[in-house]
Amino acid sequence: MISRLGPLAAAIIFATAPAFAADNYQTDIGPTPKNGRQGANVQGRGTVLATLDRTTFTIQGKFAGLSSPATAARLHMGNVMGGTGPAIGDLKVPQAKSGEISGTFTLTPAQVAGLKVGKLYIMLDSQSAPKGNLWGWFQPAHVTVPEGVPQMGSWYIPNLLDQGDGPAKKNNS
Amino acid sequence: MIKNTMRAFGAVATLGAAAAAAIWASHAIAQTGAGPFTEAQAQAGQPIYVNRCAVCHDAGGETIRLVGPAFTQAWNSRSTAALYTRIKTTMPFNNPGSLSEAETTAVVAYILKSNGATASATALTPTTDVTIASLIATHGNRRDPYAGYVSLSSMAAATGITFPGTVAKYTPVTEGMLLNPPASDWLMHYQNYAGWSHSPLKQITPQNVHNLQLRWVWSLEDGERQQITPLVHDGVMFVSTVVNNTVQALNAATGDLIWENRLGPRLENQVNATARAMALYGNQLFYPASDATMYALDARTGKVNWKFKISNYGRDKIGGVMIADGKLIVGLGVCDEPSLEDRCFIAAYDVKDGHQIWKFNTVAYTGEPGGNTWGNMTNGERSGADAWIAGTYDPKLRLIYFGTGQAKAGKNGIGDKLFSNATIALDVDTGKLKWYNQSAPDEGLDLDEVYEKVLVDDGSQKLLLTAGKKGILWKLDRVTGKFIDYVPTVFQNVFTHIDRKTGRGTYRADILKPEPGGSRPSCPAPSGGHNWPASSYVPEDDLLILPLMQICVTSQGDMPGNFEAPGSDGNMGRLSAYRAKDLKPVWTVQQRAPFLTSAMTTAGGVGFVGDWDRIFRAFDVKTGKTLWKTRLGTTAQGFPTTFMVDGEQFVAVPTGYNGGSPQVRPSSMFAFERNRPLVGHAVYVFALPKTQ
Repeated sequence: MISRLGPLAAAIIFATAPAFAADNYQTDIGPTPKNGRQGANVQGRGTVLATLDRTTFTIQGKFAGLSSPATAARLHMGNVMGGTGPAIGDLKVPQAKSGEISGTFTLTPAQVAGLKVGKLYIMLDSQSAPKGNLWGWFQPAHVTVPEGVPQMGSWYIPNLLDQGDGPAKKNNS
Repeated sequence: MIKNTMRAFGAVATLGAAAAAAIWASHAIAQTGAGPFTEAQAQAGQPIYVNRCAVCHDAGGETIRLVGPAFTQAWNSRSTAALYTRIKTTMPFNNPGSLSEAETTAVVAYILKSNGATASATALTPTTDVTIASLIATHGNRRDPYAGYVSLSSMAAATGITFPGTVAKYTPVTEGMLLNPPASDWLMHYQNYAGWSHSPLKQITPQNVHNLQLRWVWSLEDGERQQITPLVHDGVMFVSTVVNNTVQALNAATGDLIWENRLGPRLENQVNATARAMALYGNQLFYPASDATMYALDARTGKVNWKFKISNYGRDKIGGVMIADGKLIVGLGVCDEPSLEDRCFIAAYDVKDGHQIWKFNTVAYTGEPGGNTWGNMTNGERSGADAWIAGTYDPKLRLIYFGTGQAKAGKNGIGDKLFSNATIALDVDTGKLKWYNQSAPDEGLDLDEVYEKVLVDDGSQKLLLTAGKKGILWKLDRVTGKFIDYVPTVFQNVFTHIDRKTGRGTYRADILKPEPGGSRPSCPAPSGGHNWPASSYVPEDDLLILPLMQICVTSQGDMPGNFEAPGSDGNMGRLSAYRAKDLKPVWTVQQRAPFLTSAMTTAGGVGFVGDWDRIFRAFDVKTGKTLWKTRLGTTAQGFPTTFMVDGEQFVAVPTGYNGGSPQVRPSSMFAFERNRPLVGHAVYVFALPKTQ
């Protein structure tokens, strides 16, 4: 059973923050790509929140449900939201199946720009999945609701479309 | 010339050497003969397989596994030369033909060895022509719980009328009935010509739906795909199963069998065979069999009136089936055999005898309109544009609307490849092209735009709404095909730009020109932001309600496979309602399990949808709030319908566990987390208590 720490926690923490505040970010870290047979090695889930103060990016989160102890965690920048790329730096993570994850980074202008278009992501490794157990791409802070609860009106969908010739506003609140 | 078969052989990616070794070890079985390949070839093939083949074939895609029973069942009767040719000419998915001769022979050797063949001193060459069955043992009917696919095709069964009977009272279905479907019936795939999947019935309401009770269950033959639409007319339900092409008539109120016809054949492998839609007209029931035979059955007795092969080419499959203007309209899919004659089409047939009235080819050849959009590819190399979903029909405009799938040949960037991934409007009288709108030209990621074309009027404006695998909801003028508007319904990272005047999308640069070592993700994965689980239009509220899926895939690099879409918070399933006139979002519900039925709504204000995790639920169409739910035997899969018999409204939902990537990919992601039985094809029927 996967522990579902994510949506509710994010909703609580950001409940008083304006939606899509520029300096608050969040991600629900879930299993890295898997097929059936490898699935046992890439269990778990977590929620990570972050703030960007000028170039200082501060990360704090939790994870649980790993099938083996965590070994490392890093901040990466991918080629696109959903894509992989090189590591920016290491995060603090306990050698345990659950715990807290944290770190502070000074981002370059390119990394700040990457953060704003969803390229920055967290990768957490474990003993049984040394090349990646959990991952997730940082999104602007947004309201989330628990599984199965209807959300009325507009709702959050990451949108990478170039807005040059007219915005696709309908789905972003 | 050999045509390409992308769907059958999937995309590119890697697993990891350890995983591949584990697969090799776990699937090694007794060999029956020394392979015509060397150990060195097999060893050389392993990393190529891992890096170029594994993501679809091992990570759950709309493909067969290349190691295990699915492979042996599909390839046992074929030869090593055929396997070599298939891989050499159609793989890898994003760059067919890029494997060298040596690399291809090595991959063939690796696959053979992984399936139990042993190496010998004889090297495999492109012309080595040995029956695969002579090299490897079959796996019988072994079930792989993580494959998400079970074939029971090899089991013997009787054929013909195996349960005789006659429907006591049957009114011939007329064009008038199809134009204005009786509320008590569900006469066609989407309930009406406009593709609404919506019933005028009102007995079940948000106030009483919590009282729904199971009235009856009818088990269907297990095995193969199961995504049916239970049609209902005059209190008779018609259902089918692909495994033996069995068609049955049931008393819709009681579940009693009236007649059964096992048409056959049992195919050795029926991947891609799915009878989602049957059609009713006159006294006939039209059934698309898995061998591309169209049957016209007497709906009263199940006896065959006439039959004919829609296509005589190998694996071709009948896709969409509908009646329009008294004609049987059929779309063809999987049309990729090595013949110039085998290309996908939409055609009209006379319901009396099956003779062809007109035909529109969805792949344009040289010299035909659109024929110059395939670069330098020869006609024989062109393939795809499968018409695998039933169309809709505007009787006033006398236009039928079909979608097509992606092109299955050629690199991205060589041309638009008409008429792939397009909405097509054809004159119902002549089959001539009225217009096309290609929302995703030159598609190479298996992101079809083939799905339901929903016809809605906004005042005097005649609209067509449709969403494809990219999860973008497109609004078109259905008179002219002109693009009007769009809205993304799920996260997509395939397009970086969509021209708001034309609707034409611009692909991400690394999709057109992959970066060496890059991860080349595709969000959505080929399971689609939207797939065959159709949307429903609620005319009372002007709402289009779409079942959606939030899964991505990485097709190369060091982290290949399926993963949860960014921003989804682990919710693979999403059900969203949009106001049709302006595409404004009205409500959404997300959940871990993907939805694997169409959305079905009623004028009573209640909608129904089912999911992978066996939940069938009723929801308030105005808010999305769950009003009632129950757990079924296995995955709720197919097209729910509703009907009335003797004053009682019933709701039917199919269950099934086989299918393409919309259920295979989440199945792999649910491994070690959630389970469902790999048996249980059935129809469940619910109604309110009789006292109400």
